[in-house]
Amino acid sequence: MIDFSRFRLENGLRVIVHKDSSTPLVAMNLLYDVGSRDEDPSLTGIAHLFEHLMYCGTKSIPEYDLPLQLAGGENNAFTSNDITNYYLTLPSGNAETAFWLESDRMLEPGFTRKKLDVQKSVVTEEFKQRYLNQPYGDAMLLLRPLAYSTHPYRWPTIGMDISHIENVTLDDARHFFLSHYTPGNAILALTGNIEPEKAFELAAKWFGTIPTRTRRERFLPAEPIQTEERKLTVERDIPTHALYKTWHMGSRLSSEYHAFDLLTDLLAGGESGRLHNRLVRERNLFSEINAYITSDIDPGLVVITGRLLRGTNIFKADDAVNEVIDELKDTDVSIYELEKVKNRFESSNVLSNTSILNKAMNLAVCELLGDPGIVNREVADFRAVSAEMVRETATRFLTPANCSTLYYLSSGKEQK
Amino acid sequence: MTGFSRIQPPVYPFDARMDIPVRTLTLGNGTAVFIIEAGTEEIMRIEFVFRAGMIKEDLPLLATSANMMLTEGSQSYTAEELNGILDYYGIFLNMSAERDNAGLTVYFLNSHLEKVLELLVEILFRPLFPAKELGILMNKRLNWFRINREKVQNIAGDRFFESVFGSHHPYGRQVQEADFGVIIPSLLKDFHSKLYRPEKMTMIVSGKIPVSAADSFEKYFGGLRSMEVYTEESKARITGGPGKKFHIEKKGAIQTAIRIGSATITKRHPDYPGMKFLNVLLGGYFGSRLMKNIREDKGFTYGIHSSVSSYDLSGYFLVSTEVGRENAARAVDEIYRELQLLRSVPAGSNELEIVRNYMAGEMVRMFDGPFAIAESFKAVWEFGLDFNYFTGIMKTIRTITPDEVMELAKKYCNSEDFYQITAG
Repeated sequence: MIDFSRFRLENGLRVIVHKDSSTPLVAMNLLYDVGSRDEDPSLTGIAHLFEHLMYCGTKSIPEYDLPLQLAGGENNAFTSNDITNYYLTLPSGNAETAFWLESDRMLEPGFTRKKLDVQKSVVTEEFKQRYLNQPYGDAMLLLRPLAYSTHPYRWPTIGMDISHIENVTLDDARHFFLSHYTPGNAILALTGNIEPEKAFELAAKWFGTIPTRTRRERFLPAEPIQTEERKLTVERDIPTHALYKTWHMGSRLSSEYHAFDLLTDLLAGGESGRLHNRLVRERNLFSEINAYITSDIDPGLVVITGRLLRGTNIFKADDAVNEVIDELKDTDVSIYELEKVKNRFESSNVLSNTSILNKAMNLAVCELLGDPGIVNREVADFRAVSAEMVRETATRFLTPANCSTLYYLSSGKEQK
Repeated sequence: MTGFSRIQPPVYPFDARMDIPVRTLTLGNGTAVFIIEAGTEEIMRIEFVFRAGMIKEDLPLLATSANMMLTEGSQSYTAEELNGILDYYGIFLNMSAERDNAGLTVYFLNSHLEKVLELLVEILFRPLFPAKELGILMNKRLNWFRINREKVQNIAGDRFFESVFGSHHPYGRQVQEADFGVIIPSLLKDFHSKLYRPEKMTMIVSGKIPVSAADSFEKYFGGLRSMEVYTEESKARITGGPGKKFHIEKKGAIQTAIRIGSATITKRHPDYPGMKFLNVLLGGYFGSRLMKNIREDKGFTYGIHSSVSSYDLSGYFLVSTEVGRENAARAVDEIYRELQLLRSVPAGSNELEIVRNYMAGEMVRMFDGPFAIAESFKAVWEFGLDFNYFTGIMKTIRTITPDEVMELAKKYCNSEDFYQITAG
């Protein structure tokens, strides 16, 4: 049970605090309700590039990291389709330094043309290092536009194309800041060795004077219902074929969300998942195979990714995956197997809550969903999924018409 | 802004609490158990350590394969059953086989302690290494191997260790595609019976530990004994390879991986804490000289890091990065320039102050919570050291002078000792 207190500043900033006195540290998580889904289709990647720009210092704090390091702190950030999330930990005695630093850059970041140019090339190198210069690195870049025709989830956080990042101007960046980095668009979560009263007082002191700005309204095009199976085949210079399959699922708050979560655990949770047992252990078709949900706020994807053993025909492998999927629709999962994935979920939940940083992130994300109390209901919600719900969800959603498949083939001669 | 000025809040001194009691227990058969009692959740972590790392293997892949096969079938359970039961009880298991040590770590809810120990006796001491499961594992590993051969960072990294430690030493030996066909069950059984012996096991237990735990450890492990087997000490010697500069051409690569460094002192050497300090300043944190110069000023890379690390027989010092092909030569020059600066100009006191506080903050994090403390404990225990090592690091962090850092650089960071590997 994670107990928490909430508070809202007049400028709209939401603050959540959970005290854990077993640690000498405080964790701060500052979530901005902006991700790559909020980008203009001609300027994709700007949300993530902007995360880099937030580290370029401000008028009063020329270097963000320096005072944090002097206070014994450490920080990082990530951008997803839905959110941009900044987090730090530091010794509890120096917690105020975190408030000072984060409020200062929410007030006014200090990037310049030179700094923008440097970060554009850093992000370009990141694009190359993570997506272009890695075997299978561009698979998700291909899969998203295959699965989504309309919704902005069709492009990845890094951006659709390097040229979009290269084209970002200082004005674009300023505009992005003013439209999205408003106190009312942010959630501040604090966990660790700090009294809630103290945290609220510091939040009011440091964030309270930041003027309210109008956030840009979010109008996202809904993804039309997919009615036909989609397939894409590419060839690359890679050692073995890979298979990627996705199906559209409900949103994070939809009633089937936990059934989807449980369903992918049945398929690939731990070393005893069905896909592994059937297709790696029994049939020797894949060397490894995985399944997961993207956990996006808007309707996301169920994803299966597998690497084929050399010599396995891609269509045979695809058929074999479909057989495992069909089994979910044809037969109720046993009580033992259902209990297995539920126990595993509960165990991982307890383990994750041993970290104050995880707790801070989870609280902030659940507040964004409308209720931080969701963190305490996750295990019960997961446990409430029945065998019938799994079967119904699979039958309704895991259909060929709702599926996109990417055949990512090795061009190597040995494969032929 | 209204009403108040945004003046930087005061920074207060802080210190890691390193006076953590570690209880020691010896089971009836000699197994050493270290117990770190802390934490608020009803969850435990146990790490089982054996001297069964790569240093003990006569063939590549032996130590890692023996380790990864432990959960693939035992005297009482098939691989499928065993993995199913582990998942049913929500037991998280991380296998590990490194250069010197090997073993595994389990995380589980306290209520399952007895079940966990019963399963671990099977996993650690009664594995069967079935041929079918070994085939599946080797297929997977061969696939990983082929994929990694495509990555410039792996090509450069493997070549770096081969150059520094020698192509015949287990620390430096590169795996070849043909090695995968050599591993058969009997080799793994032999390796296992020699090195995974209950009397030679060490357990590091941490979390919120039930009072009855010590009795349970004795019940499941205290009576286990192994057969007398003859083991031979490794005769391999560390000798750096000939030649210092290598470029490995990788067709179609759009980035070049750079690895520059050398062998260095181990964790037991009195200069080691100072080298840890030097490393952070050079390339060990976000504000380091290398990051500032090569990422934040020039934008050549997404990241550049240096590390000072130690195995049992040798340490190593390494600068690593991936940069756009067109900037590779300039990046290499800049790395050497930073090293030259380190040897010739004492660092300013402001810069040292940042590194001091950053490292002190890291120490707080290394002692935050039972699992972090357990990892910190293992990191010194495996070198025959204790928490006094961290007290020594703290002292270095607080007191090292600019001249001392420069002297360390002169002693251990000479360009003529460095291997320089580029791939791309």
